[in-house]
Amino acid sequence: MPEPNPYRPIKAEVLDVIPETPTIKTIRFRPDRPIAFRTGQFVELTIPGVGEAPFTPSSRPSVEDVLEVSVMRVGKVTERVHQLRTGDTIGIRGPFGNGYPLDQFKGKEVLVVGGGCGFAPLRSLMYSFFDLSGQLKKLYFRGGCRSPSEFLYRQEIESWTNRPDLQVELTVDKGDETWRGPVGVVTTILDSAKMDYANGIAVVCGPPIMMKFATLKILKMGFREENLYLSVERNMSCGIGKCGHCRLGIYYPCKDGPVFRYDTIRNAPEIWD
Amino acid sequence: MNLLSIRHEVYFPVKKQNQRFFSRYTGSTDEAILGEVRPFEPLKVFFSCARERVAEDFQSEIPLSSHKPFAILGVKACDLKGFLIQDYVFKNDGLQDPFYIRNREQNLIIGTDCTCAIDTCFCLALGVQPHPRENFDLNVSPIPGGFIVEAGAAKGRALLQEHASLFHHATQVDLQAREDQRARVREAVEQNLKTHDIPPQDQFPGIIEQNWASTVWQDEAGACVECGACTNICPTCHCFLLYDQKDDQRVARLRVWDSCLLKDYARMAGGANPRRFLWMRLRNRFDKKFDFFPKVANVYACTGCGRCIAACPGKIDIRRILRRLVNRA
Repeated sequence: MPEPNPYRPIKAEVLDVIPETPTIKTIRFRPDRPIAFRTGQFVELTIPGVGEAPFTPSSRPSVEDVLEVSVMRVGKVTERVHQLRTGDTIGIRGPFGNGYPLDQFKGKEVLVVGGGCGFAPLRSLMYSFFDLSGQLKKLYFRGGCRSPSEFLYRQEIESWTNRPDLQVELTVDKGDETWRGPVGVVTTILDSAKMDYANGIAVVCGPPIMMKFATLKILKMGFREENLYLSVERNMSCGIGKCGHCRLGIYYPCKDGPVFRYDTIRNAPEIWD
Repeated sequence: MNLLSIRHEVYFPVKKQNQRFFSRYTGSTDEAILGEVRPFEPLKVFFSCARERVAEDFQSEIPLSSHKPFAILGVKACDLKGFLIQDYVFKNDGLQDPFYIRNREQNLIIGTDCTCAIDTCFCLALGVQPHPRENFDLNVSPIPGGFIVEAGAAKGRALLQEHASLFHHATQVDLQAREDQRARVREAVEQNLKTHDIPPQDQFPGIIEQNWASTVWQDEAGACVECGACTNICPTCHCFLLYDQKDDQRVARLRVWDSCLLKDYARMAGGANPRRFLWMRLRNRFDKKFDFFPKVANVYACTGCGRCIAACPGKIDIRRILRRLVNRA
């Protein structure tokens, strides 16, 4: 049942604020009523009286009463999100847009490529894959960050290396004494995934520059354009394709995305800007 | 107007110096001018307010309107075409906007034929005749010695029946007078198309894609001062900005019209801006009107009303840009 007033947020109580990196915090919150979302969909989070900003939940979609978003401090709203404390009231609208078409990934080999803040939506996607228990043919995760201290969910993602259903490799642009893995951008560790590229699925989420170069690399490796899924970052505001801000070609990422198959947006102008 | 004002808040065009404006009826019809051309304000001002409160605290109610439903007289065909875009965005595409629906459903739209054309009129290039043909409840055509009133939608027919004693059937002579006048105005607009060398819309397909890398955008954007007048005054532009406010007791979410020409329109929190240069934003305005809307809604988001030409302090002229795009120059 759609909310009769699509601009009104529902109340949510902040349960926990978890510092992740020097610039990222994860907010756990309990909305007034459960929010059923598909992984990859996003919500608008309101700081009452200040404004709202879009985030893709990083939590398990099967958990509808408590959600998590991981937020990088970059602007007016996110600054205030970082000041939240347990018990505070926030507002939530959504979920909006389309998530990942999980059914179409079943029986396939899937390569998930993440960078920086892009781990947040991808963590939710990975949980969904874990819940599919064995319905994927094989799962590969490739993650890159600027430095080990900025590695979002580092412990958790490193713990995935013990999972039998998943093959993980991680890299950083610049290492430190805690880092024993490879050093370099994420595109340098993609082709270590020995899979049937022509029939595989690739999912990329990260900063625009990383998405651009990962896309070029993935296509060069032999993945098909219709098997590549990108998360488009735009200034999404209303969430329902009315306010105009996020338009990309003939699409509104808030309504038609933010997850797009590459072949549907490849000709849209400005996709990497 | 007295009869209408029982159930409606009535607006009608008045003429002050050389401009026409919508004015609220409060008992006097001095300065009323039903015919001539479109008023200064676009019709959208009645349906998607320039500034309105869309949420308060966490209450779910849609705030009730504080006025009686609008009856708007003297609406011109170019503004009625604006409904095709506004309705597509707020009513027909995906989730409906309850504020727009509320204002739109309860109104009474009374169109009027244009009885002249001004220099900026170019509706015929966009497939719009200078007299209403759709999207009205009633249409009023001024003729010598009276008016011909025609019902469009059911609401209009009901109104005519209710007040049948005020009307008699139009004669052949009356109808011929209406036709003659319509032909005269059409001719005046056609003359504008010739004078300004304005291409018709059947030459528009592909003009944005083919001119994407053209220097026309930089050339034309040089005169833009980013005031947003062209988007505010446009009957099809619909973009808005949501922002939140707080006083001691309450928080409120408001929306105001926004403009894609403004620098921060597409800017993201981290600072990335897909359209960081003004010429990119000018190109975007044309992309939205002449590529996006024909692809998603099968209609060009321009009505030929010419308001943006008159409003632009930099003399940026949509007719000139269209001509340059069509000529690939």
